Amino acid sequence: MIKNFLEIENVTFNVGNKSKVNNLSLTIENEGDIICLLGPSGIGKTTILRTIAGLEKIQSGKISLKNKIISSKNIHLDPEKRNISLSFQDNCLFPHYNVIQNIEFGAARNKKKKKDLNVDDVIRFLNLEHVKEKFPHEISSGEAQRASLARSLLSKPDLLLLDEPLSNVDQSFKEEIQVKLKKILTELKITTIIVTHDSYEAFYLGTKCGIILDGQLKQYDDPYNVYHFPNSVEVVNFLNRGILIPAKVTGENSLENDDLGTIKGNFIKHYPKGSDVQLLLQPEDLEHDDKSNLKLEVVDRKFRGTNFIYTLKTLSNLLIPVFVHSHHIHQHEVDEKFGIKRPIIIDHIVCF
Amino acid sequence: MLLKKIDIWYLSSFFISIIVAVPIITVFLSFFETTGNYSSILKDTFLYEYIFNSIILLFGVLLLTFIIGVGCAYIVSFYKFPGVNFFKWALILSFAVPAYIYAYSLTAFFENFGTAFSILKNLFGEGDYNSSIPKFDGMLGAIISISFSLFGYVYVLTRASFHYQSQNLIELGKNLGFSKKKSFFKIILPSARPAIVAGLSLVAMETLSDFGSVSFFGISTLTTGIYNAWISFDDLTLANRLSFFLLIFIFGLFILENFSRRKAQYHSLSKGGFKSKSVITLTGYKSLLAFSFCFFVFFISFLFPVLQMLYWTIIFPKHFIDLKITELFLNTILLVLLSSIVLILFAFISNYGNRVSKSKFLEALTTFSISGYAIPGIILAVAFITFISWFDNNIVRYFGINTIKSIFIGSILGLVLVYFVRFYSLASNGIKSGYLKINYSIDESSYLLGYSKFKTFTDVHIPYLKNSIFLIGILIAIEIIKELPITLIMRPFNFETFATTAYVFASQDLLEAAAAPSLLLIIIASIFILTTSRYILKD
Repeated sequence: MIKNFLEIENVTFNVGNKSKVNNLSLTIENEGDIICLLGPSGIGKTTILRTIAGLEKIQSGKISLKNKIISSKNIHLDPEKRNISLSFQDNCLFPHYNVIQNIEFGAARNKKKKKDLNVDDVIRFLNLEHVKEKFPHEISSGEAQRASLARSLLSKPDLLLLDEPLSNVDQSFKEEIQVKLKKILTELKITTIIVTHDSYEAFYLGTKCGIILDGQLKQYDDPYNVYHFPNSVEVVNFLNRGILIPAKVTGENSLENDDLGTIKGNFIKHYPKGSDVQLLLQPEDLEHDDKSNLKLEVVDRKFRGTNFIYTLKTLSNLLIPVFVHSHHIHQHEVDEKFGIKRPIIIDHIVCF
Repeated sequence: MLLKKIDIWYLSSFFISIIVAVPIITVFLSFFETTGNYSSILKDTFLYEYIFNSIILLFGVLLLTFIIGVGCAYIVSFYKFPGVNFFKWALILSFAVPAYIYAYSLTAFFENFGTAFSILKNLFGEGDYNSSIPKFDGMLGAIISISFSLFGYVYVLTRASFHYQSQNLIELGKNLGFSKKKSFFKIILPSARPAIVAGLSLVAMETLSDFGSVSFFGISTLTTGIYNAWISFDDLTLANRLSFFLLIFIFGLFILENFSRRKAQYHSLSKGGFKSKSVITLTGYKSLLAFSFCFFVFFISFLFPVLQMLYWTIIFPKHFIDLKITELFLNTILLVLLSSIVLILFAFISNYGNRVSKSKFLEALTTFSISGYAIPGIILAVAFITFISWFDNNIVRYFGINTIKSIFIGSILGLVLVYFVRFYSLASNGIKSGYLKINYSIDESSYLLGYSKFKTFTDVHIPYLKNSIFLIGILIAIEIIKELPITLIMRPFNFETFATTAYVFASQDLLEAAAAPSLLLIIIASIFILTTSRYILKD
């Protein structure tokens, strides 16, 4: 009986003799799950993919796919025998074949496998019709990346590994491709591991997200939890979507900050009354209210299309981000005062 | 760990490299053997002369090929003038003229009562012209013959480097306020340095192993010393020992070449970084000067020997009529085809073996084995005969089998095997430079798409490298058509090629009879060169 689709148990991932990620354990429970690995550059995310694909060997732990060990200290199944497809970050199209030939190269494998996917569909879906007769050097890096993705998809792998698959794709086009990619992966139940440094991409595509920092898997959870319930200061700092401010626990559902006053909400972890903690304050936790007597100075305003992110300075020089819808009528300039609604109520309180 | 790495590709690459390395190993082992009396005689008499002559010859040739090769490459790359597109490819035709045929032409033209004398006589009537006609013989003749025959290496590599040099670099010079002269010496020339050094290293190796022209001009070099030790004094060990010194010298050059090639990788340009150059259109006397320089080099390197051979072929038609052209042609083509197929196939397998095994040991072994290119053909042939004799006496006889010598010595098989060792580096380096352009992740992509190593080899690498294979095949063909000493020693009885026929006549002082086979050799080689000029100039 298959327990988990993919199991990685206590594997140390190396490049040469240098260890990149230590003692990592991770499971993909169901076929068709999409896992996103997030982490800063050079941390070893690509090494993880290359090792799962069989391009690197392991010296400890084991990797099993569909209940079969594919890598361990003594077992190493060759990459071509794993039915795992890896789409590299830098396009690795065969330079002497045109785009369509490259894509068909992928389709040549597993012709008999029943996954309802054909070359024309994939080309259309990834908007590659206009470049299909061109050679890799004649197309843009974004098009090459999509062609490489098409080739990987058509190889109908048991496990698809995508290394920064959309990093070179134009921003205007990226969201459309993300939607289509998610649709196709979900419909065809292609189990996928995506490496990216774009947290929005990871949160959208992933069934689960893994955060890799300092050579370790720091958190592995569904995207909502990773964002709202980061399990360490390192994860908070990496996601960079909020700040930590000093506070004192004053009751079962409240804490106190010198600048912001009382903050109420549900603690996700119990802290004794009187504890000094670091409270995670995310941009959407505070609300704008011009009538409020809690006024902070605007030091920066970032227009993000759908919203503004104001950076406010408190009396003790803390810089706090606040999210405001961009249709909000009353806009504030730098150096103006910005009112914060009181009492401050946060749905879930995350402290460290 | 090592055992895990060993597979069929590893073993194939290993054995191919070992086969190619046998003559080098033989030469190295000779260092520990005792030599005959000739050794001490030589040390007291001619050894220093051999070394001195080799050095003079080497530096003379290097200087001349540098001036001609870099000069031509610079002019055709950066300037536009009448005929520039013609000269771009015409200058590589010099590859078709072996140094020994150039030597015949040079002598035939300038010798007493030679072609120059006849021209002057026809123009100005009878007279004592011999004393006023310069004589290009001895060391000067050898330097000129070898230089004009080999400058193409420097020209082709330097031109390629200039061609891919970014306009941005030149514009940078202008921004910094450099004059054209300063730009040339401070920017253009230094950035082409690895290519120039690579070209000069090839010239150096060819010069040190040249036999045909130095023996024709009677110059005593290390190579002729090796030949004398073997032929005149029957001292094979000394011949090998002299080869050892020659090899040490050549290894130094080889390391230099390798070093510069490694640096050359830094000159590869990314997709966005290349901006094609705007060439300067020359007018007036500058245009005439550029044209004259290129025409002079083209004339001297190619037209001159061709016209000299053509002249003799016309005025001595009997030699041409008597020549068994079809037989010589078929013999030459047979050798070309067999050798090209064997060389390319094995070079391909070995390179792929090195690529998939990623073994530093194999890489080092291959580098060592391909230095056989630098071993004079004579030594390779002799080492092969020595090895077969030893094998026949010690191994074959042990199993009660009759001799196998006749299979390998004086046979097409033996000839092709020695060609294999001699030209393996050409094939191997060609395939290797093709492979350098294939990112290793291309292989990985193929594996991940379910293709085995063998399928990756057949479905990805061979189609990608087909142009390189074609080019290498032609380069091998050109070399084999021109090759002399190995063919002379290893060929079957009564088996002649254009090169051997020309040599046999020339060695009997029948230069006029050597003209027709020489001319045909140049024509066939030129056809091969023209077929590939597009690739040679591009890469």
